[in-house]
Amino acid sequence: MQTQIEKIFKSLSAEADFVAFKTVTEKTRDLSVRNGKPENISIDMDAGLTIEVMKDGHIGYGATSELTSEGIQQAFDRALTMTKVASKNAVHHFDLSVRPRSEGTYISHRQKSLDQISTAEIYDFLKKASQRLKVSDKIISAVADAMVIETEQNYISSNGSQFQQNFNIVVSSFSATAQDGAETQTRSHHGGRGNCLQIGAEYFNFDKLEQDCDQLSQEALELLTAENCVHETCDLILAPDQMLLQIHESIGHPLELDRILGDERNFAGWSFVQPQDFGKLKYGSKLMNVVFDPTVSNEMASYKFDEIGNPAEKKYLIKDGLLIAGLGSLESQARSKIPGVANARSSSWNRAPIDRMANINLEGGSLTLQQMISQVENGVIMYSNRSWSIDDYRRKFQFGCEYAKQIKNGKLTKTLKNPNYRGVTVPFWNNLAGLTVSDTVETYGSPYCGKGEPSQVIRVGHSSPYALFKNIEVFGG
Amino acid sequence: MVNLKNYLEKLSQEFFTQLQGDEESDFFIHSEESQFIRFNGARVRQNTHVHQHELALRYQKNQRTLRVNLSLTLDFDQDLQKILSILQDCRDQLPRIDIHPQFVAICNHGQSQSIKKVVRPNDEEMLKTIIECFGSADMAGLYCSGPLRQISINSKGQFHYFENDFFFLDYSIYNGPKAAKGFFSTENWSKDALVKNIEQTKTKLGLLNLPSIDVPKGKHRVYLEPMALLEVLQTMSWGGFSYAALKQGRSGLRKLHQNELHLSEKFSLIENIGLGYVPPFNSLGELSAKQTSLIEKGKTINLQVSSATAQEYDIPSNQAEPDERLSSPEIKPGTLAQAEILKKLDTGLYLSNLHYLNWSDQQSARITGMTRYACFWVEKGEIKGPIADLRFDDSIYNLLGSNLLALTSHQELFVEAATYQKRRLGVAKLPGALIQDFNFTL
Ligand SMILES: [Zn+2]
Repeated sequence: MQTQIEKIFKSLSAEADFVAFKTVTEKTRDLSVRNGKPENISIDMDAGLTIEVMKDGHIGYGATSELTSEGIQQAFDRALTMTKVASKNAVHHFDLSVRPRSEGTYISHRQKSLDQISTAEIYDFLKKASQRLKVSDKIISAVADAMVIETEQNYISSNGSQFQQNFNIVVSSFSATAQDGAETQTRSHHGGRGNCLQIGAEYFNFDKLEQDCDQLSQEALELLTAENCVHETCDLILAPDQMLLQIHESIGHPLELDRILGDERNFAGWSFVQPQDFGKLKYGSKLMNVVFDPTVSNEMASYKFDEIGNPAEKKYLIKDGLLIAGLGSLESQARSKIPGVANARSSSWNRAPIDRMANINLEGGSLTLQQMISQVENGVIMYSNRSWSIDDYRRKFQFGCEYAKQIKNGKLTKTLKNPNYRGVTVPFWNNLAGLTVSDTVETYGSPYCGKGEPSQVIRVGHSSPYALFKNIEVFGG
Repeated sequence: MVNLKNYLEKLSQEFFTQLQGDEESDFFIHSEESQFIRFNGARVRQNTHVHQHELALRYQKNQRTLRVNLSLTLDFDQDLQKILSILQDCRDQLPRIDIHPQFVAICNHGQSQSIKKVVRPNDEEMLKTIIECFGSADMAGLYCSGPLRQISINSKGQFHYFENDFFFLDYSIYNGPKAAKGFFSTENWSKDALVKNIEQTKTKLGLLNLPSIDVPKGKHRVYLEPMALLEVLQTMSWGGFSYAALKQGRSGLRKLHQNELHLSEKFSLIENIGLGYVPPFNSLGELSAKQTSLIEKGKTINLQVSSATAQEYDIPSNQAEPDERLSSPEIKPGTLAQAEILKKLDTGLYLSNLHYLNWSDQQSARITGMTRYACFWVEKGEIKGPIADLRFDDSIYNLLGSNLLALTSHQELFVEAATYQKRRLGVAKLPGALIQDFNFTL
C-alpha cells in the first residue's frame, strides 16, 4: 500500500508549491471489564491519508480514507482547489522554512511489541484487576479498562522529507466505586485516565498492580465515612497525579502560541499570556522549572519529529519562575516571532496539525515528601484528579480530587472526602513553596486533550514531583 | 464517485453470506465528505477537506459480542478482504472471552430511508461570501459543510439509511478582548439571513463598549440566555440522565431520580428525536422513540435506557444510544416574554454564554464553570456595562429548583457543532432562564 501511495505522491508532488503526504494507521484495542465481566470489547482500525498543499504561501489540507488512486487524486484536487481560493484571504503567507527537510525513524521504547499480546490476554489481565478491586458488597462498581494502541505514521514531502514513527501506547484505568446509603465515593488509579505510557506488552504484569488495587478499594471504602474537606485558606500539597492536570490546564494551554495568536478564541479560548510576556513574566516562584520534552523514554507524547518534520528537542518554557518560550510550531513562530518548539500535531489523518502540548514536565526540587509534610502547620494533601474547570483565558481555575488527608503540625491526620481547591494561575504558581526531589517524580498523561476547529483530541504526557503551595482556598462537597 | 448505499448493500451481503451457524453481525456506517474552514481575523487559517468512511462491525456468537471499527477505502476487494480477515480474528478471540451480561441479540428492526439537503452555493463560493460579509470584523470560527450519512445494516435483513447535507458557521466577533458569539445554520440558504445574523452579533458586541463594571463574588440574580442554559444542560446530561450511570454510582442527579429532591415545577425536559436532526434509528439500528419525557414539572419520569442496560437490570429499553446521552434534548418553554427579560431581571447579571462546566460535587449536584463572551451587569432593567469573567459553583437543585424564577416563552434551536474525530449529529431546543441567588465564587 505504502509503495502505491508513494507512486501517486510522485505524480502529484510538482502540482503545488509544496506537497506532503502523511499516512496514519492506528489499531486501538479498547477493553472494559466491570465487576469481573466484559462490558466492552472493541477493536478500532483506522487508516487514512493527509495531503498538505502549499499555494502562494497558504497551506491547505485534504484527507481521505479512500486509499485508492482515484480516492487520493480526488482528495488532492479538493485540497488544491480550496487552498487556491483560501490563499487569497489567508491569515499568513508562509515560506518553505516552516517545512524543514527531515529523515529518520522513531520507535516507542518497549521490551515486547504490543502486537505480541492477544485481545484475550488483555481481557484476562483486566478481569483479574476488576475482581481484585471488588473486595466488598459496598464496592458497587469495580472497573478495569485499557486502550492498547499501535500507531504507524509515514511522512513524505516534495522537499525530500521522509520519516516514519511507530508508537506503542497503553492507557489504563482501574477504579472502585463504593456506596453506602446516600454516600457514593470513587477511588481510581491516578485519576480517570491518568495512566498513559508509551510501552509494550510488558506493561501487562498483574503482580505490579495487585497492591495498588487493594489500596484503591480500601480508600474508596474509607471515603464513605470520611469528613468533607475543610473550607479554608491554608497550605496545599498536590500529589503528582493531580499536578498533571494543574500543569496541563494552567501552564500548557496558556502557553500555546496559536491560542495567544487567537486561532482558538472561538473554541477552547484565548490566553492571559501576551506576546510581550515572553522573557519578562514572573509566572511562578523561583522553584518553578518547566520543560517541553518529547524525548523522554516511555512518556506518553514522545516523538522524533512533529508532524511537519520539525525535529523534537527538550526546551525550557519556564526557568526559575520566568516565562521564556511558548508552545508554538514553526508556523506560529513565523507568525508571532516568539520562540517555540516542535509541536505541530494532529489527532489523526483527518485533521490538520495545530500547536499542541507534548510532554510538559515540572522538574523536581529538594525536599523528601516527609520533609514537605513536616513543614505544614495547617493544610491538606490531595490525590488524583476528578474535576476540572478553567476560564477561556486560563486564569480562574477550580479543580477537585478524589482523596485527601488533613495535615496538622507537620503530620498527616484524618482522611477528607470531596476535596476541591480554586485559584488564579499566576498568583497560584507564585505561591509555590516546595517541590520534592527528582526521584519522587511520577509520570502520567492524558489521551484526551481537546482543542481545535474542527476538534481534535491529542495525547499528552506530564511528569511532576509533589508540590507545596501556600495560602490556597480549599473546600469540600 | 461510488454510490455508498449500493456499495454497502453489496459489501454487507457478501460478508453476511460468509457467516456460519449461529454467527450474527451488523454494520453501522458513518460517512462524511466535509469541508472545514477555520478562520482567524476573518481570514483563513486552515482549510481541510475530509472523505471519511467508518464501518462499525459487531460480531456475535454464543452470547458474546466483539465490536470492530475500520476505515473503508471504498475499493470493494480491499474492504472485503479486510472484513473477512476481521471475521477470522473474531472467531479466534471471541470464544476466549466470557459471556457478555449485557448481551443483546441482533434482530431485524426494519428498513427506512431519509435524505435531506440544504441547497446552497459550493464551498468556494460560500468562503468568498463569508469573507465579504464579515469585512473588516475580527472574526474567529469554523465553517463546516457537506453530506453526512449514517447507515445501519444487519444479517437479519435490516437496512436504515440517513443522509443530511448541511452546513454551519460557528463564530465569534472581537473588539480587543471583548467578544460576542454567533452561530449560523439554516434549512434554506440565504445570504441576507447571514448578513442579518452578523449584524445581530455586532449589535451585542457594541454593548460591550460601555465601561466595565466590577461585580463582586457572591449571590446574584441572573438571566441565562438559551446558549448559556445549554451549557448547564450538557453538563447535567454527562451521566445525569443515564440509568446505567445511576446504578453504577456515576450519576450527578441521583437524589432527583430517587425522589429525594425535586427541581422546579417550571422545569420539564424531553428527549425529542422528533426534532429531526438525528437518524430515527440508533447506532444499533433500533428505532428510537420519537419523544421520551425525562423530567416533568421537576420530577423524573424516565431515564435513558439502552438495550444493554435494559438487559443487565431487567427493565424496558427506550432505545437510547449505548452511552445513554441525550442527542435531541428539549427544555419546555415558560411564560417570560422576550421583551420583559431585562425588566424582570431588574438588577443582576445578563449572561450570554458559559464555559468549561464540570461537576464539582456529583453527590450534591454541584457544578462549576465560567461566564464567557458578552455578559453584562444590569441595574433596574438597564444594561450598565460588561463584566470581567466570573466563576460560579452551585447546585442544580438551586439553579433549576428553588431558585428558578422563570423560563422564557421563546425557545432557541442549536444544531450540534461538535467535530471530535467526526461530525456529530444532534440538536437542542431550549428557552432562557431567570434565576435568583446564583452563587459566584471567584
Ligand atoms: Zn487540554
